[in-house]
Amino acid sequence: MDPDTIFRTANLLALAGWLVLLASPLWPWLAERLSGLAIPLLLSVAYCGLIFAFWTSGKGGFGSLGDVARLFQTRQLLLAGWIHYLAFDLFVGAWIVRTSRLEEIRFWAVVPCLVATFLFGPAGFLLFNAIRSTKSIAAQPGMSTKVMS
Amino acid sequence: MSIVEISRAPSIGRPIAINWLRELSARQSALTGAGVLLVVAMLPMGFAFLLDTRLFNGIDVWIKPLKFALAVAIYMFTLAFFASWVDEKVRTARWFCALAWATASAGTLEVFYIALQASRDEASHFNYTDNLHMALYGLMGIGATLMISFSAILGILIARNGKLDVAPVIKDSVVLGLTLAFVLTLIPAGTMSAMGSHWIGGVHSDAGGMALTGWSRDGGDLRVAHLFGTHAMHFIPAFGVVSALVLGPEKRWPVWLFTVVFCGFVAFLFFQALAGQPFLPRLH
Repeated sequence: MDPDTIFRTANLLALAGWLVLLASPLWPWLAERLSGLAIPLLLSVAYCGLIFAFWTSGKGGFGSLGDVARLFQTRQLLLAGWIHYLAFDLFVGAWIVRTSRLEEIRFWAVVPCLVATFLFGPAGFLLFNAIRSTKSIAAQPGMSTKVMS
Repeated sequence: MSIVEISRAPSIGRPIAINWLRELSARQSALTGAGVLLVVAMLPMGFAFLLDTRLFNGIDVWIKPLKFALAVAIYMFTLAFFASWVDEKVRTARWFCALAWATASAGTLEVFYIALQASRDEASHFNYTDNLHMALYGLMGIGATLMISFSAILGILIARNGKLDVAPVIKDSVVLGLTLAFVLTLIPAGTMSAMGSHWIGGVHSDAGGMALTGWSRDGGDLRVAHLFGTHAMHFIPAFGVVSALVLGPEKRWPVWLFTVVFCGFVAFLFFQALAGQPFLPRLH
């Protein structure tokens, strides 16, 4: 199995997970099981397999930026890094959907967070928490002054 | 009197595998946990097997850790299954739980080290390259001995459980199977360890070995006696169940006779390997 095939398959899987998250108001149960668990787990298996097979063939390490760059010169490890993104971003996306449902944040406000998480990972996480905090401040009048002081 | 206890395992509403695991976990959680961990670890190792092109002894580096993970998982599940045949007081005692934990840890660490060495394309067993690897190989031996000892301990404890409500022939078969698994494993495993290889004569490679097992087809291979010896814990109880159903639950002699024959068979395999003869020679 060559890295490019795995790359394409992993991308398709992740994309399917994100589409299910976007349609999650229709099937919250499916989104939870599929995007929040099954697909990240599948990607994790692929990640571990890649690491098991190729961690010794990598040069470099984690000690310096140069070392990390050298590590990713091995294509299979670069692929593992990419799958790491895909798995954890999707997991965070599912967490956003779950949390928004528990805290009754309207879905139209969640959609930009999902898009941002899909494209820029931590940016979407930051955005969602920003929206979350404004809602919790707005929900408790008088709390805002306490937070300010 | 229930011939086999498994009939009590509930199987309504949930996948049977989950119910079985739940049942096993209730019997002995540490051993079941180790078994589950090893089966789960087979998924990424299986994927690594598809990706890795490196060979060790002529076959993919990941075949050995996959085989060991499966084998140790089956061993752990078997021990967990029979743990509930031990007297309740003993089974819940702290020393028994500690032993089960030690066995579960030894098995998991064994497979972890084998997988680690596979990922480095190096030998785990029979690695005499330097002091560190010799020491680690020594530790593997201690861990493996600890692991297989639990089978004998379980056998003895089941033998001493007077309250066990199973047919006499079944009880005998389980006691004999678990105890002999220890003896019949230690002899071939100790021998191959002392000799520094499980191959005797023939080409020292897995490349031309038998399907699935990899056993040599042109020389002796001590792994054959190891496998059948360890599986005494399955073959003898399985015979016990059949004997109870066919010849009746009170008749004990069939299982004792079978045990003698089975030990003879393992002894034959052992000496066959020592003589440098393959289990199944290659057909020309």
